Amino acid sequence: MVNKRKTTLVVALIAAAAVIILAWRPTVLIYGLQAAGLYASIAVPMGLILGIVHIVNLAHGEFLMVAAYATYLLCKSLGIDPYLALLPVTAVTAGLGFVVYKLTIRQTLKAPELNQLILTFGLGISMTQIANLLFTSQTRKLSFDYVSASIDIGELSFGVYNFVFLGAALLMVVGLRWYLTRTTAGKAAVAVGQNPRGAAIVGIDVDRTYGFVFAMATALVGMMGAMLITRSAVFPTVGSPYTMKSFCLVAMAGIGNIPGILGASILLGVSENLLKAFRGLRGWADIVFFVLIITVILGRSIRGKKA
Amino acid sequence: MKIRGAYIAAAVAAAIMIAFPAFLGAYPLNVARSVMTYMALAVSWDMLLRSGQISFGIAGLFGLGSYASILAVLRGGMDPLLSIAFAALVAGLVAFALGFAILRLRAMYFSITTLALMEIFRIIMHNLHDFSGGPEGVVLPEVIFGGDASALYWLCLGGLAVTIGASWYFERSKLRLALTAIRNDETSARSNGIDIFKYLLVAFVVTSTLQGMMGAIQVQSYGFTTPDTAFDANFTLLPLAMALLGGIHSTIGPMAGAVLLGIASEWLKLKIPYGHLVVYGVIIIIVILFMPNGLFGLARKAIRKAGGAGSPGSASNGSDAEEGAR
Repeated sequence: MVNKRKTTLVVALIAAAAVIILAWRPTVLIYGLQAAGLYASIAVPMGLILGIVHIVNLAHGEFLMVAAYATYLLCKSLGIDPYLALLPVTAVTAGLGFVVYKLTIRQTLKAPELNQLILTFGLGISMTQIANLLFTSQTRKLSFDYVSASIDIGELSFGVYNFVFLGAALLMVVGLRWYLTRTTAGKAAVAVGQNPRGAAIVGIDVDRTYGFVFAMATALVGMMGAMLITRSAVFPTVGSPYTMKSFCLVAMAGIGNIPGILGASILLGVSENLLKAFRGLRGWADIVFFVLIITVILGRSIRGKKA
Repeated sequence: MKIRGAYIAAAVAAAIMIAFPAFLGAYPLNVARSVMTYMALAVSWDMLLRSGQISFGIAGLFGLGSYASILAVLRGGMDPLLSIAFAALVAGLVAFALGFAILRLRAMYFSITTLALMEIFRIIMHNLHDFSGGPEGVVLPEVIFGGDASALYWLCLGGLAVTIGASWYFERSKLRLALTAIRNDETSARSNGIDIFKYLLVAFVVTSTLQGMMGAIQVQSYGFTTPDTAFDANFTLLPLAMALLGGIHSTIGPMAGAVLLGIASEWLKLKIPYGHLVVYGVIIIIVILFMPNGLFGLARKAIRKAGGAGSPGSASNGSDAEEGAR
């Protein structure tokens, strides 16, 4: 009962904040939502891995970077659009994810959690540095006309292309929800996530499920890497910031809560753009993530102690 | 007997280290300084790891120390040598204050939070234009000791000696038992009356102080810093790889790893200007997958096997094993 009242209060507060922002600077809300789409669509695959395989993949952003480079090379050599390259790139990163899982992560599943953390850290560094070795640290950019599409409403003019990422995020959340609750393989994956030993006892192949989920998550990241190239330049460390941001969002939403990631992304995207709206505070926008991540993690640990 | 042998070996090694500037040129001394800096960071990282807490924020405290030192000299007119102690104190105090919050976290949450703290420090230094010089950083009018290569070397060696001394004390005092107990099983450590938070705080503050001190020494030796050089992720990555390669949970392991990787990276830097750090990533992966106890772990295993086969004549090896076992 109390909980319900609390939820209503929170929803009312959020709605009020949204209305105020909309009246004052509508672009903050629009660009905030667009940024939220990008953050959420990259964070959801990490949430999937964390929720089912229970691995913090610190090489998450690096898979994004590999996909972006693959898309860049494909588009450059064949002259095609990134959205055409999306399918082959997704297949490639899924394969890469599967191989990486089989060769490395699988070996440390039984080891202490710290080993897994250090392992994925090392994987991330290796991938960034291999990109450095192959492509140097030079930034590369492809430009497309449709990216600059904009809409005018009254006096307001804003870019609409980036809403594509919000669409992708929504699609991902809905698709995963359907997969995890309606299909047999998805239900099995949830069972493995909840209790690997119990799942093994009732006859689910845990190892195969882990491998499949890992590959699926990297495929989704690969898809986002292909889409990322339409709006961002490519360089070896392009993915690194997203690892931290994704973990932050997953931790905020709570492990295993995939729709919650979308909500957390909207909170972050909007507050980041709110800071950017003030000229003097623009440089501080990056800090929002880190302050939020620490607040959330500490808040959770303190609440956990009380309970 | 064995222990005395180890002491003599350490004294000889120290004497050789101190005498290095007499027969090495400026470039080898510079390489030696960078190796010693990374070695000190690797040892200090390992000191916290002995309690089971893995920090990804070495670069954060390193950078904090370097900024504290350079700003104290530039804005406060402090003596450069004194500023190193001041920087160590600042890093220690910050760690003490933060420790109350973040040492309640465990495993991945602790690691990620230390990583986030590093980013926060970097962004703060990036944005306080008037105070910290913003993205362009700050430059000292002159380097400590007028840039004399031997003096800089001895300064760095002094920092390293303090770090090794602290680590040595950690290994031989009651602290080691407490930290090992926490690492192995927190619940049983607590039920045996160990004040977990107190020991973690001590370890965190001491290691942060050491990292801040090394940052200050580094910045005073080069005379400038920017947010991107002070908080360079390499200051986290390299010590981590070095400690893992040499063998964690010891003083000698990270030291050996630092010598091996430090010299190797200097050579690779010349051969492969872009991406030579891939070696570090690959080493981390290989060590985690195939030899979680590092080179010293492998050596210990080999010696034990040889000892099992029965070779009483290998007394000199025995002292090494003794050293490694601690």
